[in-house]
Amino acid sequence: MKARDDKTGSQESNGKNEGVSRREFLKIAAITSALTFISISRDDLMKLLVPVKLEDLLMQNYGGEESSDPLEERAKEKEAELKEWCNNEAQRICRETGEESAACTEARKRCNMIKVKSTPANKGVLFAMALDVNKCIGCRRCAYACVMENNQARNLGIEWIKVLEMPRDREEIEKLDILKANMYYKEAPKPDKVYVPVACMHCENPPCVMVCPVRATWKEPDGIVIIDYDRCIGCRYCITACPYGARHFNWAKPYVPPTEINPNMHILGNVIRQPHVVEKCTWCIQRTRDGGIPACVEVCPVGARSFGDLNDEESPIRRIFEEYGAFVLKPEAGTRPKFFYFFGPRRTPPRKSSLIREGGG
Amino acid sequence: MEEVQERERGGLLSTIGFIIREALFTGSLRYYMAAIGLILIALYGLYLWIMVQHAPIFIGSDIGGMITTAMNDSVPWGLYVSFFVFWVGVAAAGILFGIAAYVFGDKEYIKVAIFGEIQAVAAIIIVLLLIMVDIGRPIRALILMPQLPNLRSMLDWDFIVLTTYLTLNLIAAIVTIHYYRQDKPLPRKFLVPFIIIAAPFAIGIHTVTAFIFQALTARPIWNSPLMAPRFVATAFASGPALLLLALYIAERYVEEFKVSFSVYKKTLYVIVGALIVGLYFTFSEIQEIYWYTTEAAKKAQAEELFFGLHIPYLATLLWLWIGFGIAAVILGILPQVHNTKKGILTVSIFTVIAVVAEKTLTIVIPGYIPGTLGEIRPYYPTPLEIGITIGMHAIGLLVYLLLAKPALKAVVIHYFSGKGHH
Repeated sequence: MKARDDKTGSQESNGKNEGVSRREFLKIAAITSALTFISISRDDLMKLLVPVKLEDLLMQNYGGEESSDPLEERAKEKEAELKEWCNNEAQRICRETGEESAACTEARKRCNMIKVKSTPANKGVLFAMALDVNKCIGCRRCAYACVMENNQARNLGIEWIKVLEMPRDREEIEKLDILKANMYYKEAPKPDKVYVPVACMHCENPPCVMVCPVRATWKEPDGIVIIDYDRCIGCRYCITACPYGARHFNWAKPYVPPTEINPNMHILGNVIRQPHVVEKCTWCIQRTRDGGIPACVEVCPVGARSFGDLNDEESPIRRIFEEYGAFVLKPEAGTRPKFFYFFGPRRTPPRKSSLIREGGG
Repeated sequence: MEEVQERERGGLLSTIGFIIREALFTGSLRYYMAAIGLILIALYGLYLWIMVQHAPIFIGSDIGGMITTAMNDSVPWGLYVSFFVFWVGVAAAGILFGIAAYVFGDKEYIKVAIFGEIQAVAAIIIVLLLIMVDIGRPIRALILMPQLPNLRSMLDWDFIVLTTYLTLNLIAAIVTIHYYRQDKPLPRKFLVPFIIIAAPFAIGIHTVTAFIFQALTARPIWNSPLMAPRFVATAFASGPALLLLALYIAERYVEEFKVSFSVYKKTLYVIVGALIVGLYFTFSEIQEIYWYTTEAAKKAQAEELFFGLHIPYLATLLWLWIGFGIAAVILGILPQVHNTKKGILTVSIFTVIAVVAEKTLTIVIPGYIPGTLGEIRPYYPTPLEIGITIGMHAIGLLVYLLLAKPALKAVVIHYFSGKGHH
């Protein structure tokens, strides 16, 4: 209150010679500013009243005209459709293998569990993932878990995660280049190799979103770049525009056996896909929006992957930034990825292949 | 009473009647054979598209799908997009005869300008059909593109300029037939707005097509602002060359129809000039890629293009472009060649070969090999893709044939009926 009196007093004396309207205006302005000052200084009040950002409210509908309600409606329709399809498939399996078979009961169980969600983004969350290049052993279990979790077509061989194998020896340094990387290796880990898994980077500035002619893909408020499979026209311009090869096309009718279906689905994530649409990593939207972590993070046997909220100071991502520093792939593409690589405390395979040779005899 | 009849005969509806009558109900046996042949090829192409390549979409079958093409996640665009680029160029060049005729008032070009417009119509129909067979879900695209346009997407802009240019040329062709068949000259109030709108659109369609490719950082070899100028330059070589060949065929088969030698010769100037500019641009690109560049991805893709390490046909096509391009320029400069109709037609054939080699697979495929993560998956189009591409070309040719016949008739009525107008 004292501050307010001082302010109005000084300003009144300043504006004495000017018009009444100006004086009035200044008075109101001073009072308002003082009031704001008082309210924002109340730390204890802040605990009760959580501030709301205008951007969060406005970004709710970012990328699409539809609000969450039609999406929920569509999720329900999709659920019914998938259940019907799944039950028919299960019926066929049961006819072929008998009612008592394990395949039959498994298929029936999974079909009944199918749930298609439309969980919207949580406010104020900005997801990010980090991967410890020192830890990764190139076992590709993440790629496998991803296929299972995200109901990827088993007949088309689509894998969202590609693992690049590159030499780490100093003598072969010129081969340490994405262009010379090998993604079709058969054995891992090898002591003289380094492994760099690549999937969708969920860029802040995604070229794939810019080029889509029907706005079928967009960046959600929590940073996940998603595709609306009911809107994709299959022109494959986004595949052309992506610098990370993250997008994949269903070149034929995708098929997932009901015995392997993941019943936990999200309408914008891992619902069974349609033929001739593009798909990509969604950071397991069906898990992470409900507080889980992506399947690849969960399955990684060496704990190379971390996932969290960039806005949360307690998140593992923030610790990685503070302790090790983060790196991005292809910075020259200017897409500002939110998938980071870092060099953790210790190399699981020894730094020099010569050490292995000595140890082995 | 007579006046009413006169007006009815001069109505636009009766012009459309005239076009249909001329296109479908008159003609020699040879004409019908050609048309029926094209229809059969087109139907087979459509059959392959609906029943095999897009079977999961159109008939809901479990087998088939775009997996029957050689395209994959590494090379998502192939033969269809390659020929799409080429025909956009041919369409753009249709306006060249219009400019010569209506802007510079060349008396001889006025007689044949309509064939440039018809060529543009046919070429854009091929373009749209190739996009239609390339898109995974064409019906959804037709419904959604107007509803949810993304103005940052060059595909939308391309769709807009292509359809506008198609409409403009179709209107121009019909109006030209409308006046000529009544033996009237084209009115200025039509010509001036047409050429003012259509000429920038002609450049625009090819520019926007190049913009689809050139602004992508993910594909370094395309990422050059020279792409659009080079597209336009070689388009102005291939389009007129094809037009000259078409005019020659028309001259041979329609007795009354004659094309002045000056049309051949002046068009040759444009072809040679455009080829020189196109070759010069290629030369400039070679310098950019091989002299100082340290950009590994761009170099790797360029090596694929120039030496064909994994796909030999790319290098063959590129050197065909350079070889035939230079040969066409040299031939075109020689007086023995450019003073004879046969020589000019030879140069035209050389030019068409050179530009087909330059602006089809050599543009699209190097951007994908090696891919963004260094993967090399050589692309060889499957027979299915080739069949569908030929089928779509047959539809375009059929449109050309069906429009060119009434146009020829109208031009003959106006200019060659021996009334002594010209």
